[in-house]
Amino acid sequence: MANVITKSAAKPNDVFQEARKVFSASYVEMLREKGHDFLEQGGAGSFLSDSEGTRYLDCYTSAGTFNLGRRNESIKVSFKKALYETDQGNIVMPSDYKSMLARRLSEFVPGNLDCVFYGVTRGDSMEAACKLARGFTARPEFVTVEGGLYGEDSFALSLSERSGKEQFGGLIPGVKTVPFGDVDAARKAITSRTAAFIMEPIQAENHCRMADSGYYRQIRSLCDASGAKLVFDETQSGFGRTGTKFFFEQLGVMPDILIIGEAMTGGMFPMTAMVFTAELKHFFDIHPLIHVCTFGGHDLGCVVAMAALDEYDRLGPWDNAADLGVGLMKDLSALAAKHAGKIISVAGKGLLVSIKLATEDLAKKFCSSARQGGVLVNTGRVDTTTVLIRPSLLIGTEEIGRMVIVITKTLEEI
Amino acid sequence: MAYKGSERMSIEERDYMQYLFGKHISQGQVTYLRTAHMDVYERNRKGATFTDAVSGKRFYDCFSSAGSFNCGRGNEAVIDALSDALDTYDMGSHLLLSENKVRFAVKLASLCPGDLNKVVLCATGSDACAAALKLAKGATGRNDVINMLRGYHGLQGFSLSANGKDYYKELFVPLMPGFHVVPINDLEAVRRVASRNIAAILLEPTLGEGGIHPATQEYMNGLRQICDEHGIMLIFDEVQTGFGRTGALWAMEQYGVIPDIMFTAKSAGGGVYVNGAVVYREIEPLVSYVEANPLFHTSHSGGTDLGCVVTGAVLDYIVENKVWENVATAGRRFKEGLEQIARENSDIVKEVRSFGLMIGIEYKYEFIAAIMSDCLAKQGLWAVFSANSPQVMRFQLTTAISQEDVDGILSGIRAAVKEMRIYLMLLLPLAKVPMIRKVLQNTKYQIKAGNWMRNLEEFGNRLFPRRAAPRRPRPLRAAFQRLRMRAGSTPSIVRK
Repeated sequence: MANVITKSAAKPNDVFQEARKVFSASYVEMLREKGHDFLEQGGAGSFLSDSEGTRYLDCYTSAGTFNLGRRNESIKVSFKKALYETDQGNIVMPSDYKSMLARRLSEFVPGNLDCVFYGVTRGDSMEAACKLARGFTARPEFVTVEGGLYGEDSFALSLSERSGKEQFGGLIPGVKTVPFGDVDAARKAITSRTAAFIMEPIQAENHCRMADSGYYRQIRSLCDASGAKLVFDETQSGFGRTGTKFFFEQLGVMPDILIIGEAMTGGMFPMTAMVFTAELKHFFDIHPLIHVCTFGGHDLGCVVAMAALDEYDRLGPWDNAADLGVGLMKDLSALAAKHAGKIISVAGKGLLVSIKLATEDLAKKFCSSARQGGVLVNTGRVDTTTVLIRPSLLIGTEEIGRMVIVITKTLEEI
Repeated sequence: MAYKGSERMSIEERDYMQYLFGKHISQGQVTYLRTAHMDVYERNRKGATFTDAVSGKRFYDCFSSAGSFNCGRGNEAVIDALSDALDTYDMGSHLLLSENKVRFAVKLASLCPGDLNKVVLCATGSDACAAALKLAKGATGRNDVINMLRGYHGLQGFSLSANGKDYYKELFVPLMPGFHVVPINDLEAVRRVASRNIAAILLEPTLGEGGIHPATQEYMNGLRQICDEHGIMLIFDEVQTGFGRTGALWAMEQYGVIPDIMFTAKSAGGGVYVNGAVVYREIEPLVSYVEANPLFHTSHSGGTDLGCVVTGAVLDYIVENKVWENVATAGRRFKEGLEQIARENSDIVKEVRSFGLMIGIEYKYEFIAAIMSDCLAKQGLWAVFSANSPQVMRFQLTTAISQEDVDGILSGIRAAVKEMRIYLMLLLPLAKVPMIRKVLQNTKYQIKAGNWMRNLEEFGNRLFPRRAAPRRPRPLRAAFQRLRMRAGSTPSIVRK
């Protein structure tokens, strides 16, 4: 396994000085507060490196993207080979690369979610899902739950609990937001005007909030009764993160549309997807090219995604996530009991774990102190008092052990 | 083993790929492209050309994925840079900084004129459009936007709301409020809506999907002045016009008008990756807004480590080779040739418009578009009409196109027009009848008719195979394969 650490000749301070100018000073300050003021210089396996050659155990994984570790060797080899054989391709063409990945995805994703639209960034696929739901049902409204975070474009922002979104003026009208886990509120909100009910089945950035499986089942039947489509965003919970390929398998509820994130390429290529049922594809059949994306379904991206899906199937990292997740949760719960003043609670599933601290400041300090110990973690974006632990799903017990030691020490320090 | 497209594809394999595409993605898209012989499978993607895996035929790529291949397909400098980078980097971590990200941003800003010094990393054109609009709205505290009729910036929430053609929007309403659509090059129309409620004026310096309409110098000067008067942010979408396309690195340089915000994507990916960016002026209220809201737009797949390496290599290639010089010469030659063709066919061609190597030829009848695509494809020219103006056929060749290639393409267009005239002998008299004309312009009927003719043609090909056919088609075997496909099994000819 290539594990080369490349040191950079540039002085980090000089680069940060340039970053302050070209991006913003406040951005660099924000990184400093969390101890993220280092320059990332690639990664390998469960680790990433900084420009000075220091290695960190990557428990951030770019918000659940590097499920197969950093720069997975097998994906890299396929990518390099394909690079000399194909390229992006012309958008509108029905390329064989798109066709083959579509077949591969329909086999990979459980149930009847056989159809696909390729996006680029998380959020892209949510835009596509909202358009498909409105287009197919010819209904204007969406119902969503509080505490979600779906992306940065306007459909996604309208659905998200995202601070500052009011700065952008009027977003997409027709969104009703109901409390999470409240069936009665959902029942009142879902009507014959509802195109879709949209939620993350587990709200990663909001202290991994989830409901009991009865809630999801009731939402499913409310959707069935009203003709609304059920959309699950599994950008962070998909590809084995919670101990099964997708979290919805543990709920016994099938969505009509599923959003999957960049974990689909193992974090080697910006590509996401919306997968959906054959029934909904009718809309794209009768309105060809009504929704396109130049970089979506990039032929090279398709090769990279197929290589990654092969790796997922070969390694079945969801089993490891389920096994190690149980142990990790036990260790963290014990720590929570010990540091009851600092930790409010611990939540999560598999290797998607959230620690809720007493204050936002404490969460930032936690990140900073963990980095000193060689572990990279980041705070939640909806509940900013939380710190998320989401390592590579191929992480070993030894590395988990080291992580727990660092967390223990971190909790004593903050 | 990851999938690798084989050099040549049999008719059966092609049918299977189309079956998969239809089953999993969109049957409508397959049918649509079949109509105009545009369902080709690209191989040997090199420079300005590719070959079709089924026929083995060489095509000039006159579309370049709407201007994504400005540095040529299979550009070795870009590919090598990406290949080397893969030994160290992956996408990198969202929100963390790296030397790649900072170096790329600094390089991009240094190549933009005036005080366009600040950068927001983005992933795609529509992502960058969203970032640009958020920046303008957030910084000015205003809601409304002026955008162009037939303008096109993408199909996501922000960019769709700013789309200048209702067809793309009407099935998805209600969209964002406060977009005022005006025709390009009409300053009076802008003046009528410009006020202190407007956050931004958004336009492509040349409407790409809108049918290659370059903005005039007077219009650009006027927009700048109106924006200055009302504190409106002027936004240029340089997604299609950037990276040397118009005869300068950015179209804005040709006008000498500096927008407050500009954004780019497409060719930023070098044809092998994905990247985009917003560049904005170091002025108030933009700088203070971003300082107060450093996370106003956080594109998860934007400005990845690999993407920044690739775009850096693309910029180096474009600048070192001064591709805009060739663009200017080749663009002129292409335009002169097309104008000659237009003069010879003034009964069907309305006008030729161009800006560097962004060239459009507009017909007098909308229904000619699909027939023209078809005739061009038969001549080995893969060209796509403008999405928001179907009567305009556009040519966006690689910036490194040679004079010989331009001449070759022109003679292909000449031959295609000749063939098209045969169809028109029948259709033009019919088109004079309003009702028939309505039918002819209906895309649904066009697709049906096109597919029917295509089926007839393929049936003929099967009965009387041509010499050039890659393998002797086996009608019986193909029929059998189709039956098996319907039964849900995978034909043995397609292996993973």
